[in-house]
Formats: sequence, structure tokens, C-alpha cells
Amino acid sequence: MATDKTNLQLVVNGILNENPIFRLVLSMCPAVGISTTVMNGFMLGIAVLFVQVFSSCTIAIFKDKIHPRIRIPTYTLTIATWVTVIDMVLAAYLPEAYAKMGIFIKLIVAFAIITMRLEMFACKESVTASFWDGIGMGLGFMFGMMALGFVRELLGLGTVLGYDVLGFKPLLFFILPFAGFFCVGLMMGFFNYIEARYRRAKRA
Amino acid sequence: MKDIATIIFRLTISCLLAGLVMGTAFVLTNKAKLHNAEEREHKVMLGLLGYSAATSAPESLALHAVHRYIVTSGENSTIGYLVPLKGEGFSFVEIGLDGAFVGQQPVKLAAEQAGEAGTRDAAITAAVGAGKSLRYADQTIIVTENGRRSAYLLPGVFPGFKTFVKVILALDPTFSILGLEIMEHEEDPGLGGEIVQGYFKNQFKGKTFEALKKLGVVKTPLPEEYRRVLTLGKNNEAIGPEEVAKVQAQYQDKDIYALTGATISSRAVTNGVKGIANKFAYRLAILDKVLAAQHIAVAF
Repeated sequence: MATDKTNLQLVVNGILNENPIFRLVLSMCPAVGISTTVMNGFMLGIAVLFVQVFSSCTIAIFKDKIHPRIRIPTYTLTIATWVTVIDMVLAAYLPEAYAKMGIFIKLIVAFAIITMRLEMFACKESVTASFWDGIGMGLGFMFGMMALGFVRELLGLGTVLGYDVLGFKPLLFFILPFAGFFCVGLMMGFFNYIEARYRRAKRA
Repeated sequence: MKDIATIIFRLTISCLLAGLVMGTAFVLTNKAKLHNAEEREHKVMLGLLGYSAATSAPESLALHAVHRYIVTSGENSTIGYLVPLKGEGFSFVEIGLDGAFVGQQPVKLAAEQAGEAGTRDAAITAAVGAGKSLRYADQTIIVTENGRRSAYLLPGVFPGFKTFVKVILALDPTFSILGLEIMEHEEDPGLGGEIVQGYFKNQFKGKTFEALKKLGVVKTPLPEEYRRVLTLGKNNEAIGPEEVAKVQAQYQDKDIYALTGATISSRAVTNGVKGIANKFAYRLAILDKVLAAQHIAVAF
């Protein structure tokens, strides 16, 4: 079974139609835990992007060799390998970012979105398609995290990317973990509303 | 049955491949990582001495590393110190467990090679001769300013609540604490992990050697005025230097205020710091006595 989408459609699919955070509602723990600022969201997004692309490609290359009964352990092993590699590379070349992100990077092993993409897509499709799907999913996750981070940072701390834009802190509880759920819910509703308006306008 | 064999075979191959990828990444990145750690350590050490990017260290400041080894030959153990000599070169001074001088050998080592563990160990092994085995113990950095000792920097490790806590402790020549910096730890975030925060680690600052000997941990809340002084510079609060001095003097002989929900971590750090300072003071007294008696001209 091969996908009938073009590479561009695969990327756009990951960002819009199947956005990991707002559409698939996967990997909610990191989404609500870490998306307190735009920068945090961006850095975790980059790490997830790399892990997703590398893992998708690896599984797509070896898909015929993986025994169907042990595919989940194999996926976990693949993800863990790439997470470890990225962890070591970051620790060596970006020590300052690593000091902040180190603990979250190891968590990527347990991210639902990556395993799910390997199971649903990479183990059935070609390497090229898996590569672009990985890029799309990673970017979708990154943009989702950054959007969440933007709203939470602005409402919670009154800043954007660390720069003070409001001059006061409107709702401090928005940077606490539980407020992440409010934020995801409200933003999901907002995006669904926009989509419904867009479809109605198209139909009319 | 055939399935099991295939599964075992393929999983083994996957694991081997994964190991190969991770091993390659480790080999490629380890050097840069070590370099980063070294650089960070140096920065932290200068920070503990009160120098930062804004106020750079003066030219007269020099850091002399003294490496301690445990030397065993057969049944006998001695402690060996690699000390930098005045001018150039190194000497390996062996001291018996009873504090008596055993012997000293010149070590052929360039100044910049002393930091590399492999080269250093090889050079010392060559100097002490065959038949003796060396085990690296720790290093101490003796800071001199214009040739006079101004501080000691002691990298140390002790057990925390979960795993080991790596710290650097700075002492002044009378063994009063100049500062404490936590380098690595794996305590729980939000509980024991708070040991890295200024309001905990800065409590050690200014404790004298006498006070340190009977330093304990109390489970009462940290007074607000003390907290404000301990976290000075973080919240941009304006506190006059007189008030800082007054509050610091008031709490100087007090015990360490434990972290909320992390009494064990707090106790572990306190006991660890006490241990490092006590052992160092004991060892330095013996080393100084031997160096003076043997007229060994060291750089510090």
C-alpha cells in the first residue's frame, strides 16, 4: 500500500489535517508540561523533529526485516537509539540548551506521536514518503508547541520569547502545568471554529 | 519454534545495530563533551572565587592542581601527591599512611599535559617504577595570588538521596567556606533538586571551619529576610551592603535550613560538605608538614 499524496501534501498533512497536538491529541504530557514559553516549545519541537525523521526513515528502510510480532519493541529500540544519539550530540555541541532541555529529551522515548507514526505510516510506506511524513509531523508538533507556548507565555508571563511586551502578568496560572489543558482545549476549539467557517464559506 | 528463532535472531541484530549507532555517536561526541565540562568547571571555579565575565581574574591569580593517588605495592599502601614545583616541572611525593615521608620522584610532564588523565598516569607510573600500582583518588586546586595562598577549590563527590552529587567547594586559607556549587545531581526536580538554588547552597557561604564541624540541619522555615539576602542578584531586589552584612552575621553560626520535602537531600549535602572540608584540612596539614620538612619548593 503506497500513499497517493505528494511530498508537499504529506508535510502539510502533518502540520494541518493531522496536527499531532490539536488533531491527533497525542503526546499531551510534554505538550502541557513544557510549552510554557515559545523557546521551550521550539527546542523540544526541533528534537522531536529529528527523532521522528530518523526513526521513520530507519523503520521504512528495514520494514521488511521486522518481524510483525516484535514490531513495537523494535520501534521503541529505534526511537531510544536516536534519542540517545541526539542527547549526546546536544550535550556535546549545545551545552547551554542541553542544561535546560536535557531532562525532556530523554522523555521523547515515550512520546506517543513517534511510535504512532511508525506504526501507522513508516512501516507501510517508502523511505521518501516516510521522510516527508516525519518532517510534517515534526513540524506540526513544533508549530503546535510554539503556538501553545506563545499563548501561555503571553498570558502567563506577559512576554514573548523572553521580551516583555505587556509589561504586566495577566494570568500567572497559565504557566502552570494544568493550565496547559485549558490552553489546548481552547485553542483546539478555536482552530475547529475557523475550519468550520472556512468550509461553510467554501460550500456557499 | 521457527518463529522464536527468527525473533531472537532479528532482535539480536537490531540491538547490535542500535549499539553500534550509539557507540559511534558516543565516540564522536565524547571529546567535545569533556571539553565543555572542563570549560564549565573552570568558569564555576572562577565564579566561586568572585570573578565573572564582568570582573575578570587578575594576572597574579594562579590555579595549581594537586592530584592525589593511592599507591600500592604488595601489601603496603602509600598516598602519592603530584605537586607542581616552583618554576617548572612536577614532583610525585609519597607519604605513608602514618604521615611519614616515603620518597619523592621527579615526574616528566609538561604543564598542559597534567590535566589529561591518561598522559599524567603514564608519566607517574614511569617515575615511580614498576611493581607499584596507582589508583587515582581526587584533585585539589590551590589558588595563589602573587604567590600567596588565597583559596582552595575542592571538587568532590558524595551520595545524595538518589545517586551521587558532584560539587565544587571553595575554602579560604582558614578553611572557612567561600562558596559551594553543585555540578551534577539527579535529585528529584522540585524537591531535592532545589539544592542547586541560591537559597539553599548559599547558606554554606561564610561558615567557619569551627562552625562547620558541628553544623546540623534544622527543619524550620527559612526566614524571609535571610532568603532575600541568599537570593540576592536574582530578583533585582535592592538591599544595601550593610543590611546584607548584618543578616549574614546574624545567621552565620546557625544550622542549615532544610529544603521543604527534601530533608534527606539537605542532610546529605551538609554532611558531604563537612566531609570534604574535614578530610581536606587533615590531608593538607600532613602534606604541608612533609613539604616543609623535606624542603620541597612547590609552586603554591
